[in-house]
Amino acid sequence: MVDCDGQLYTIEGVSAGLIMLLTAYIVLGGTSIYTPGDTHISDMQLEQLGSDALRMMNTPVNGTMTESPLQSMIETNNGAGFTTTFLNYCNNMTGSHAENLQFSASVTYRNINDGQIESYPLAASRNLTGGEHAVKVTEWVIADKKFTGSNVQKNRAALVEVLLWRG
Amino acid sequence: MARMNEDAQWIVLMGFIVSFSFFFLAMILNQATVVGQTTAESVLDFPKNDVRDVKAVIIQSSSVPTDADFRTDLQSIALSRKNAVVNYSVTLPNPPADIHTYINIHYNNGVTLYDEMWASL
Repeated sequence: MVDCDGQLYTIEGVSAGLIMLLTAYIVLGGTSIYTPGDTHISDMQLEQLGSDALRMMNTPVNGTMTESPLQSMIETNNGAGFTTTFLNYCNNMTGSHAENLQFSASVTYRNINDGQIESYPLAASRNLTGGEHAVKVTEWVIADKKFTGSNVQKNRAALVEVLLWRG
Repeated sequence: MARMNEDAQWIVLMGFIVSFSFFFLAMILNQATVVGQTTAESVLDFPKNDVRDVKAVIIQSSSVPTDADFRTDLQSIALSRKNAVVNYSVTLPNPPADIHTYINIHYNNGVTLYDEMWASL
């Protein structure tokens, strides 16, 4: 026998059932990300910081047509100077605390003899152990240098590659 | 048997609505992590710094003496290290008719295609 009692209980039951079904659907169908969601955001910021630091180093002093500090560091293989300047740009913060960024830099050039792309280490503030979560930043440099495989000193394009991580 | 009390149905209905609202708010909150991640990934994937850098070095090269080796350096290193095809052509000033330098820059890394014609002041 049908009567009109308990309508509210019926609605409640149907609603609860819907919520449970939806929850199960979303939990089972959702994508799980097991890395912390912030990792990529801090990577992005680190990459931008490193790019900016390299760009500053590759800007001639006072905007003149002289060589940039980075250019002369490549040409004279001045790894110590690179370390000082780069860490200074990267680790400076407002306030009394400094950032603790570490880097490992290398220079990539083309060997004219065989056309191979080769690299040599320029400087590193710490050795890479393989456990770092590093980002790579790069900067093109025009270097008036006799790279390996070349007999004459002339303007060449080289790529400074820096691995940057928070130590 | 006593009849069921049908008072306060509105209050119960509001209760349903509020609980559904919480449910959907939780769903939206749940998406926040994914949104942050994909946005940052998109920014990392977009070669903004590479394009700027290539443009800067090409413009700089037009004002210093370079030869064919420089071009090959640039193109092969970009291909090898950046997976990017880079090409450019420089039209030097021809005074007094035209005192401007024109540079065509082409950059393509398979995802981002960038072309620019740069003219000096």
